[in-house]
Amino acid sequence: MTTVELALPHVSRRAGQIRTIGATLAAVALGLAAGSILIVIAGGRPWSTYRDMAGGAYGSLFGFGAVLVQTAPLLVIGLGLALAFRGRVYNIGAEGQFYIGALAGGAAVILLPLRLYPLLIALAMVAGIVGGGAWGWVVGKLRARWGVNEVISSLLLNYIGIFVFSYAVRNPLRDPEASSLASKAVPDGSRLPTFPHLFTHVGILVGLALVPLVWYVMDRTPFGFRVRMMGLNADAARVAGVDTSRMIVRLMVISGGLAGLAGIVQVLGVQGRLETTLSQGYGFTAIVVALLGRLRAVGVLLAALFVSGLIVGGQAASIDQGLPYAIVLGIQGVFVVFVLVADRFARA
Amino acid sequence: MDWSAIFGVSLFAAGLRLAMPTALAAVGECFCERAGVLNLGLEGMMLAGAFASFVGADYADSAAVGVAAGIGAGVALGAVMAFLSVYLKTEQVINGIAVVIFAQGLTAFAYEKLYGQSGASPQITPLSNVRIPGLASIPWLGPVLFEQNVLFYVALALTLGVWVLLYRTRFGLSVRAVGEAPAAADAAAVHVDRVRWLALLVCGGMAGLGGAVLVVGQLSLFNVGITAGRGWVAIALVIFGRWNPLLVLGGALLFGLTDALQLRIQASSGGINASVPYELFQALPYLVTLAVMVAATVRSRRNAQPSALGVPFTKGVSQ
Repeated sequence: MTTVELALPHVSRRAGQIRTIGATLAAVALGLAAGSILIVIAGGRPWSTYRDMAGGAYGSLFGFGAVLVQTAPLLVIGLGLALAFRGRVYNIGAEGQFYIGALAGGAAVILLPLRLYPLLIALAMVAGIVGGGAWGWVVGKLRARWGVNEVISSLLLNYIGIFVFSYAVRNPLRDPEASSLASKAVPDGSRLPTFPHLFTHVGILVGLALVPLVWYVMDRTPFGFRVRMMGLNADAARVAGVDTSRMIVRLMVISGGLAGLAGIVQVLGVQGRLETTLSQGYGFTAIVVALLGRLRAVGVLLAALFVSGLIVGGQAASIDQGLPYAIVLGIQGVFVVFVLVADRFARA
Repeated sequence: MDWSAIFGVSLFAAGLRLAMPTALAAVGECFCERAGVLNLGLEGMMLAGAFASFVGADYADSAAVGVAAGIGAGVALGAVMAFLSVYLKTEQVINGIAVVIFAQGLTAFAYEKLYGQSGASPQITPLSNVRIPGLASIPWLGPVLFEQNVLFYVALALTLGVWVLLYRTRFGLSVRAVGEAPAAADAAAVHVDRVRWLALLVCGGMAGLGGAVLVVGQLSLFNVGITAGRGWVAIALVIFGRWNPLLVLGGALLFGLTDALQLRIQASSGGINASVPYELFQALPYLVTLAVMVAATVRSRRNAQPSALGVPFTKGVSQ
C-alpha cells in the first residue's frame, strides 16, 4: 500500500519539505509586509506595532496564557479541518459544528444530575464530539449519497446550527436570572481547572494530545494513506479500491466531531455557560490556521500559536497604539492569499 | 395570526425586491461557472461591494457613486480570484474560501477605521421608488413589478442580459465552450484563459452590484455581517437552476419570497414572545436553499454541470 511514497527518491521528498517550509515562511513574511501597509493606513508605525504585538502575546506569562486560551479551539478545529482538507473534503461548517457540539455537551452538563465531575466532563466531551460529528455527518452523507457540494451545504448548516443553538439558549436552557441572554451556568465542579500562574484552562492539553494523534493517523495508518491518496487523485483512489463515499462521510464526522469538542472545551474552560458569543469566529479562523499550517499536524500547531498571538497581540497593540482591532482580521485575510501564492511558486 | 396581512400584494413586491441582490450574484456565478471557474469567493465579493457602495454613497452623498464603487470592489476581487484560479491555477475551492476571508478581513478593518468600533452605522439616503406611469396602475402586477427603485430594474435587466449574452452571442458560445471543453475551444482559437478572466471580472462586478443593491437600494446602512450568507445561497441557487440564468433567477425569486415571508410572519407573530420560535423563521431561507439544492442534485441524474467546472486549463496538457 505504501509504494507510492517509497517509489519517490528520499532526497526529493526532503527537498519538497524544505521548499514547503520555505514557501510558508515567505508567505508569512509577505503577509506581515502587507499587514504593515494596513498599519500605515490605520495611522500606526509598523515596526513598533509588530513589536507591541509580539510583546503583548509572547512577552509575558499573562499574555502567553491568553494566547493559549485562543490556541485551544483553533488547534482542535484546525487539526480536524487539516485532515479533511488533505482528502479534499472541504468542510467550512466548523462554526456550526462548534456551536452544536457546545450545545450537546453543555446540555449534558447542565441537565445530568451527576456529581461525579470527572465523569461528567468526560460525558460532556463525548456529547460534544457526537453533536459536532452528527452535524458533519449530514454534510458527508449528502455528498456521498447524492453528490451534494459539501462546501455549500456545510456553510448553510452553519446558519441553521447557530439558530438551533440560540433557540436552546433562549428557551429550554435559559437562565432567567442572567442579565444577558445566556443558559444556566454549568456546575462549578465541571469547569476545567486552570494551570497555576498561567491563567489558562487545561483545554489546551486536549489540543496538544491531538497533535501526535492526528500526525500518526495521517502519516502512519492505512486510513491516513487513503485520505492522502484521495487528496492527490480521487479517481485513482477509487480505482485502487478506496471506498471514497465512506471516506467522505468519515472525514466529515471526524472534522465535525473535533469542532464540536472544541465547542464544549470552550464552554467548560472559558464561558462556563452557553452564550451566542461563544465563538469569536473560530470555525473560520481555523481554516486560516489549517491552510497556514499546510494541513500538517505540527504545522497546524505552529499556525494556531501564531494566529492566536496575532489575535492577542492585536488586542494589545490596538489599545496601545489606538489602531482598529479589526486590523488583525485584515492581516489574516492577506495571509491566506499569500499562502496560496507562495505555495504555487514553491511547486513551480 | 393575520394571514391575509401576510399574503398580500406587498409580500410579492418585497419578495422581488429582496431577491435582487442574491439574483445578481447568482446569475454572475452562473456566468463564470459556465466558463468553467467555480467561484466560491462570491460572498466576499458581495460583502466588498456592499461596503464600497456604502462608503461611496456616504462620502459622496450619491447613490450613483456608491453603486460604481460597489461594482469596482467586486471587479477587483474578481481579479484576485482570476489571478489565483486562472493565472496561478491553484485549487479553486481553496481560492474561493481565501477570497471570502480576505474580503471579510479587509472590510472589517476598513469599516472600523472609517466608522469606529461602536458598530452603529450612519444611515445613507435611501433611494425613492420609481412609479412607471400607466403600468404601475395595473392591479396586483403594478405595485409588484412597476413600483420599485431604479436599481431593481437595472438588476432585472442585467440578469436577463446574461441569458442573452450566453445563448445569443458569439462570445457566449465561447464562454460555454470554455466551460465544457476547454481543449476543443482552444483548438478553435478561443483564448481560454482570457475568457475565464473576463467571466470572473463580470461575475465579480455583478456580485459587487448585488452588494450595492442590498445597501444603497434597500437597507441604507452597513454592518460587517450584512450579506448574511447571500453569496453562498447564490452558489446553491446556480446548482438549483441547473446553470441556466433564467432558472437561477427563478431560484433567487423563491429565496426572496421566503425571506419576505419569514420577516412578515416574525413581525406579525409577536417576535420574542411568539409560540413558534423566531429562530425557525430566521433559519427558513437557509433551510429552503439547502432543501432545493439537495432536491435539484438528487433529481438530476443527467448532469447539467459544465464538464470542466473547477478544472484549470493548461494549454497543451490533456485533461
